[in-house]
Amino acid sequence: MSAFSAIGDEREVDRDEFTPGIEPQATWCPGCGDFGVLKALKQAMPEVGRNPDEVALFTGIGCSGKLNSYFNSYGFHTIHGRSLPVARAAKLANPDVEVIAAGGDGDGYGIGGNHFMHTARENHDMTYIVFNNEIFGLTKGQTSPTSPKGHKSKTQPSGSAKSPIRPLSLALTSGATYVARTAAVNPNQAKEIIAEAIEHDGFAHVDFLTQCPTWNKDAKHYVPYTDIQQSDDHDFDTSNREEAQQMMFETENKLYEGEVLTGRYYVDDESPSYQEEKQATGEMPEEPLAERYFDEDYEWERTADSLLEHHK
Amino acid sequence: MPEDLNWAIGGEAGDGINSTGKIFAQALSRAGRHVFTSKDFASRIRGGYTAYKVRTAVDRVESVVDRLDVLIALTERTIDENMNELHEGSVIIYDGERTTMQNVEIPEEMIGLEVPLKRLAEEAGGAIMANVVALGAACEVTGFPIENLDESLEKRFGDKGEAIVENNKKAARAGQEFVQAEYDHDYGYSLETTDNDYVLLNGDEAIGMGAIAAGCRFYSGYPITPATDVMEYMTGRVDQFGGKVVQAEDELAAINMALGAARAGARAMTATSGPGIDLMTETFGLVATTETPLVICDVMRSGPSTGMPTKQEQGDLNMALYGGHGEIPRFVVTPTNISECFWKTVEAFNLAEKYQTPVFLVSDLALAVTEQTFAPETFDMDEVEIERGKVVDEDDIDSWQNEKEQFQPHFPAADGVSPRTFPGTSGGAHMTTGLEHDALGRRTEDTEVREDQVEKRERKVETAREREDWDYREFGDPDADTLVVSWGSNEGAMREGLEMLAEDGLDVRFISVPYIFPRPDLSEEIEAAEQTIVVECNATGQFADVIEHDVLERVDRVNKYDGVRFKADELAEEIKDAVAEETEVSA
Repeated sequence: MSAFSAIGDEREVDRDEFTPGIEPQATWCPGCGDFGVLKALKQAMPEVGRNPDEVALFTGIGCSGKLNSYFNSYGFHTIHGRSLPVARAAKLANPDVEVIAAGGDGDGYGIGGNHFMHTARENHDMTYIVFNNEIFGLTKGQTSPTSPKGHKSKTQPSGSAKSPIRPLSLALTSGATYVARTAAVNPNQAKEIIAEAIEHDGFAHVDFLTQCPTWNKDAKHYVPYTDIQQSDDHDFDTSNREEAQQMMFETENKLYEGEVLTGRYYVDDESPSYQEEKQATGEMPEEPLAERYFDEDYEWERTADSLLEHHK
Repeated sequence: MPEDLNWAIGGEAGDGINSTGKIFAQALSRAGRHVFTSKDFASRIRGGYTAYKVRTAVDRVESVVDRLDVLIALTERTIDENMNELHEGSVIIYDGERTTMQNVEIPEEMIGLEVPLKRLAEEAGGAIMANVVALGAACEVTGFPIENLDESLEKRFGDKGEAIVENNKKAARAGQEFVQAEYDHDYGYSLETTDNDYVLLNGDEAIGMGAIAAGCRFYSGYPITPATDVMEYMTGRVDQFGGKVVQAEDELAAINMALGAARAGARAMTATSGPGIDLMTETFGLVATTETPLVICDVMRSGPSTGMPTKQEQGDLNMALYGGHGEIPRFVVTPTNISECFWKTVEAFNLAEKYQTPVFLVSDLALAVTEQTFAPETFDMDEVEIERGKVVDEDDIDSWQNEKEQFQPHFPAADGVSPRTFPGTSGGAHMTTGLEHDALGRRTEDTEVREDQVEKRERKVETAREREDWDYREFGDPDADTLVVSWGSNEGAMREGLEMLAEDGLDVRFISVPYIFPRPDLSEEIEAAEQTIVVECNATGQFADVIEHDVLERVDRVNKYDGVRFKADELAEEIKDAVAEETEVSA
């Protein structure tokens, strides 16, 4: 029997199971978009049929990092910018665990930008949710990597001279195989997109617009929004890289012009995940390596025996 | 001192120096001789001088000496670089037909052997075998039966086909026969062979092998000299046992990946050198406060900054002891020789899992690039024990839940050690965080809980201090007035230095310390000695500082920071000087 009996448990899962027994007083501000991510995530879990004991949620630093406190699972609140390497290695150690990483735009596109690029490139089978509020919220309103050019803050009194990061384009260019944007103000779409992202076999990136009513009043709560899949104005094929690229470019520009476009941008079901590639070359075991430790017949110490021959 | 031969091949980087040297070292090892190798890399003069040096004897050899008996010089510069080690009667083999070697002048007291390496190689089948011709010549000079070379050649070239192997054997014999026919010196060497069975490996390989034996099944790293060999060794080997090696985008990712794999249930490790440790420092505190077992290996090289990447230094001790903000419970383990690289790695994994802390396994370049022979029993896998500590599965998870059936990953147990469970275990869902947290892993700033958690983490160190052996290794005369203390790779040179000192009438007690934190209490030993000398490869005496702090007494220091490891004869002189100085002061 597997040491990890929670995995593959076919029972019905209720979203309330993801509410921790003692729910701490939520410390997000009233009206914060982060509540929307929490809600969408909890709603998505019964849909994908995963229970709290088989989900690992890794967060970074920022308001978004509090997600672990309100979401019951194997939670690991890491340090600033590093949730992705921690998360993807957990997936490698036990691919049967549902691995989700989450963090803010500063955490994921700024300090952790390199990891974002490389995790996408490796196409690990996991989900990455970025709480994008175009601001540093927890440190009280400084300019972030997604703040628009000209953004004024205490750290950029004359306005930011930097062009904002293009999160969707960056994900695509880097190698993500599922790229979507949703918004806290659109809970149904958010739930669906998160469920799809979790079920996608590869690196799924969800840029989640989370309004910050306290420090980023300019963002106007991301309303009205347009779901590009529902709109006749935006006809493109999400499996076509070039069309997706164009749609992303347009979406990223429009955001700063006040038009909020959301939806699925790129879905590549063909490319193998990192795990699949490595299993095909025999560099990764079929059996989760975390499982091996519970195999009582396995003679660990003998494994190096054969290695000695090589040194003769 | 053992009856030893010091042999080297040197030339330009890219001349196949390493692989040729390794063939010779392997042949000696297979012939039942002990071997201790070292490498010279370019630094003093521009260009790419590199050399592979082999010291061999029937008895064990533990270090290098400042003496070179037989040198294969592929460039003129190789001779210049080694002039201080060459001596009366040293043999220099070189190809006088090469245009670049026309002006070579061999000092009168040495023996120069002009061997047309390239021409003989061409005759045997290809110029590429010139180095093998030189090996054949060296066999003749050293009286080493050339048949011993054959197996090494087979091992090195076997996958290239039988014809290539045969050509190489022919090339070696051409070199041997040329020297036989053209020269009539009595070189004075006759390398005896024995029936002993040895394995030949370097410190990085020993760490990799130790990790695999210890059940490490996840390694993440980023290439860096001189730690890359650990990663390359594990690659392709650990996968055979269901493990995984990953090359990360940087050292930040490398350590965080190892951490993630450990959280998911794997025994995990990362290895790097100074510049990589700088980046990894960020994560030390996270590992410690989330109480995740992790082995972090630092194969030290010369710093600061990029420093001298291919040169020796033991400059990262303070980093290992104190790196990271806040107060981080940890262990610092420092193997003192190559076989200990294996055993201390095994131990590091057990310490990490039993106490759920980061363990720093601090090795150095001298250990990493040296290949040494050992009896295979040195690595008796039956002696390896894997202790995973308080890992809880679903059957005993109840006993670690609170009254609300919540698992308590940071339960402040009496011994400080909390239970640990992995994602996928029913009833074990919990969170943890780099923020201060309570027993449930939830962030808190409550003063009492904070104190509880700080104390429980410190309590683990105290528990380990009591439960584990933090011994030192001892050599020389236990009653001697002079006490020498060192850590890391200096052990070999000092052990041999002891014999030289004893011959000169100076008895020394030598303590070699493999644990820096927690470490053995040396107060009694220092009290008993007239003089204590701390030997280390750094300028400031980082270990000496720690010892002085422990015993509240000044110690003398022998430091070396030119980028080259201590050599036995050199170290013996340094100790003699330090003793003489002390005697002068006392008088």
